[in-house]
Amino acid sequence: MAEGGGSVLEGFLCPVCKADFGTAVKLLSHFEKEHNEDKDVLQAFKDLFGKAKKKILKSDGVYGNEGEIQASSRKVMGYSPSLYEPQPIGAVRSHSQQFSAVRSQHLEHYTVETNKLLIRLDKILKDLPSDPLKRKAHEQEVVPWVDEKMVRLCPSCSRSFHLTRRKHHCRLCGFVMCNDCSYSLALDTARKMTSPISQVEPQTELQGSSLPSQKLKRSNSNSSLNSVLSLVEGVHQIDTGLRVCKECLHLLESREALRESRAARPILIQFYERLRTYMQDANQFLPTYIKMCNSISCGESTYQLKEAQALWAKLLRLAENIDSLSKKILVLGSADTENPPRGRALQLQQQIRAAATAFLRNEMLGLPTLPTEAKYLEMQEQRRQELKARIQQEQLEAQASLQLQKQKVREKGRDKQTFDRNHVNVHQDTVLLDSGWTPEKARLFNSDDPMVQQMNNLKHYIKEAKLAQRVDEVEALERNLEELQEEYWRQQEQKRQETAS
Amino acid sequence: MNCILAVKMYITKMTDESGPGMKVLLMDKETTSIVSMVFGQSEIQQREVYLFERIDAGNTEPMKHLKCIAFLRPSKENIHSLAMELRRPRYGSYYIYFSNITPKADIKTLAEADEQEVVREIQEFYGDYLAMGPHLFSLGIPISYQGNGWDHDILSRCVQGVTSVLLSLQKNPFIRYQNNSKMAKRLAETIRQVLSKESELFEFRQIGPPPLLLILDRRDDPVTPLLNQWTYQAMVHELLTINNNRVSLGHVQGISKELKEVVLSAEQDEFYANNLYLNFGEIGQTIKDLMDEFQKRSKSNRKLESIQDMKNFVEAYPQFKKMSGTVSKHVVVVGELASLMERHNLLEVSETEQELACQEAHSQHFQHVRRLIANEKVRHEDAAKLVMLYALRYENHSNNDTSGLIELLKKKGVSDRLVKMVRTVVEYGGAHARQSDLFGHQEAVVQITKRFFKDLRGVENVYTQHKPLLVETLEDLSKGRVKESLFPFLGNNSNVATKRPQDVIVFIIGGATYEEALSVQQINQTSSLGIRVILGGTTIHNSTTFLNEVDAASARSRIQNL
Repeated sequence: MAEGGGSVLEGFLCPVCKADFGTAVKLLSHFEKEHNEDKDVLQAFKDLFGKAKKKILKSDGVYGNEGEIQASSRKVMGYSPSLYEPQPIGAVRSHSQQFSAVRSQHLEHYTVETNKLLIRLDKILKDLPSDPLKRKAHEQEVVPWVDEKMVRLCPSCSRSFHLTRRKHHCRLCGFVMCNDCSYSLALDTARKMTSPISQVEPQTELQGSSLPSQKLKRSNSNSSLNSVLSLVEGVHQIDTGLRVCKECLHLLESREALRESRAARPILIQFYERLRTYMQDANQFLPTYIKMCNSISCGESTYQLKEAQALWAKLLRLAENIDSLSKKILVLGSADTENPPRGRALQLQQQIRAAATAFLRNEMLGLPTLPTEAKYLEMQEQRRQELKARIQQEQLEAQASLQLQKQKVREKGRDKQTFDRNHVNVHQDTVLLDSGWTPEKARLFNSDDPMVQQMNNLKHYIKEAKLAQRVDEVEALERNLEELQEEYWRQQEQKRQETAS
Repeated sequence: MNCILAVKMYITKMTDESGPGMKVLLMDKETTSIVSMVFGQSEIQQREVYLFERIDAGNTEPMKHLKCIAFLRPSKENIHSLAMELRRPRYGSYYIYFSNITPKADIKTLAEADEQEVVREIQEFYGDYLAMGPHLFSLGIPISYQGNGWDHDILSRCVQGVTSVLLSLQKNPFIRYQNNSKMAKRLAETIRQVLSKESELFEFRQIGPPPLLLILDRRDDPVTPLLNQWTYQAMVHELLTINNNRVSLGHVQGISKELKEVVLSAEQDEFYANNLYLNFGEIGQTIKDLMDEFQKRSKSNRKLESIQDMKNFVEAYPQFKKMSGTVSKHVVVVGELASLMERHNLLEVSETEQELACQEAHSQHFQHVRRLIANEKVRHEDAAKLVMLYALRYENHSNNDTSGLIELLKKKGVSDRLVKMVRTVVEYGGAHARQSDLFGHQEAVVQITKRFFKDLRGVENVYTQHKPLLVETLEDLSKGRVKESLFPFLGNNSNVATKRPQDVIVFIIGGATYEEALSVQQINQTSSLGIRVILGGTTIHNSTTFLNEVDAASARSRIQNL
């Protein structure tokens, strides 16, 4: 084989006339045409190819597979998810437990500290004297101050104290620091901090009204120049507020921030939550509506047109609501010309609007519309005709075989019985199929045919299930009903045929 | 095994776990790319994620009414920034997801920073790689070699990337590596260390034969990334460069503003999804069909007489809009490809490239290369690449005249860097650096007969005759025929390990290519082979980025040798 391969690589030479034909197919056809008198040679030649092919395929499975790959290479699909079977979500590992264990251990220290500070703050604020000297004594009574001689350097900026950089005490922990490293905690903020959560709202209002008078009093006691300065630069405020160190302030502030963020509920949130409920409602109704719509436009009578129209109206209202509400969100706060939303806040509002419009475009705009009532009736009629035609077709086929059976078994008495019953049933039947339109009371619940009875029961169940909004069950029941109806039709037709014959 | 789905499910779970409410997604540079590969903005908006924030952006605007989903790589800088963030939280609550295994100490640091108790969840979701396609991933490392060895950071990134792929697909594989590559061996060993250290994490219920992780080195096949490509995705990457699914068309004259940068994502663009593996001719036909259909529709839109017509139009609107976007985008891209092809004589260049890659005919090839170098239309890069291919194929041929061709390149005015690259490429991936029979010099009988039948059938397309070396390796693998001397198992468990795996994850140090991705897709669709393959690389190369990598690798090796 190897030698054969070698020679063929040189070209496809005809063994008789030594001409080169480029491909094997051409060579073979040439051979059959030109040298067909030489049957034996041709046969041998064909055998050689066959054997070679077989041998290669056997000796090496690669070839077969490769051929397959190349054949399939033309219809290589791009990214089609169907190629990939569903897979579970990848591995995950949670650190939440470890995290909260460390955190609570760590936070315990902070909560204890914060609580201590709050208690002290409360004590200081209670009957705080307005006279500076008395006030100092009061403050020191609550929190013992550290002996300032012990401290050479400011503990937070580690610079030395001297005439211009004087020592100050934190009113809450009593430690020493320089002026630059100290902060002023305004009295009203401090009061807010110590007040219980439930009283926050009224307290702040009260504070707001009482504060100016207090400030005024203080500025009166000082020179007028000073009071102007204090208003402009806020330098003087350290006197009216409590001098605290960075650590104490941070502890108190973070607690306050937490409290505020828990209480805060901006209007955007309220709008947004309503928007989401609308969207969720729409998402809930959409599949039902699409199913109804499809069924109705096929002319089926499983759903009532009015029902679908009501749902359509509901969806339309939802869409309008989503649109108007998201517009409101978009312009939220922009009426406030001095401080319109900007930066991330503005971006957030824009994105919410964009998401809402995308939702409307993708989910609501492309919805199929319902047929008009006249058209619906027309379609229903059409479907009934189609169904009839199909059943008749089936009947004709069935009849041939039935006829044979009948010839064998002929019992007149029994025939007559079915005839009687048929008469009744045919009447009921016409009522039944249109029952999508007839009111509940007019329906015959007591029929002598168990099938009719069953169908009526089913319809009743469906109605109840629909009222209870149990979509899944409605679906299952409807499927049952449909099967029953078809079977019933078939039987009726069969009987009619029988009676006719 | 679907990479895109794996990452997508992780992100979906993140948005689910945080419950209803407005959300912001806090990411770092890399996770931003990871997310953008699998989710479009409008898609993730429907999951209530409205804002995207970079952790290194230094934004301080507080928005307490937002929930923050933090998806971050567990790097030192990220832990530090996140701890800062938690001390002064901007958002109401935090759901933290690290994209890889995170040290306990870092969790402790964060727990201590969370003084306001804003953190609700802290988990590891292993989406630490760029899912380029269902069967293709990249780690976005443009240059992975440091001479012949690893840079420490890049090695650990590769280990993290590959292990996260394994975890996200729930695979605990046996490992094989390319024997002649020290880097492949080192990577394999480091990955195994992680596998055994985190053995609890890698306990999966496995059905069927255990999966295989195959670690390869680009040096074994330097030819594939040098070739011009003719299938849509590969061609766009070769000629226009795809960067995180984005293609820049800014240089195209008279282009409209919104098409300056186009997104080619199989996830969001159905046309692209269906056509990314078709060849250029077929794409042209498909585009024409698409335009015809579009025109038909836009014409019918013009006669909007009755209200019913208008209604129909509005109803068809979303598809209409989507379609018009798709058409103009792909028309522009394909148009640009066609003009490049025309301008630079790419058909002729590519034919010779393919011949050089697939056949042995020295004097004929030598003439072709000479003629193309002389051709004015041929780009300098293409001329240099032809000489590189020539130099690689005929490295040990008795009549090799690479120097002569290099002289011709110089005469053509090709830049010094490119001229030098000819030698550098041979240094990088010449015969000494390869273990496989890339050009089929020592053809066994089987190979000759294979070729014989290939010729019998006739070549269906001269521009796509080349098959990457990877195809052969994978086909051998599916039959259990890969030699242990060339691709040994890590450790002495070869008797336990199956030689015929079903699920294979291939990782190429030094980058994979879209041509290989296409071949893998074909293998996955050939049910008779019975293997499913996921291909990954440090990056996805085209010839330009590949040459940069080769250049950097050798420049560093020279410094090392001094």
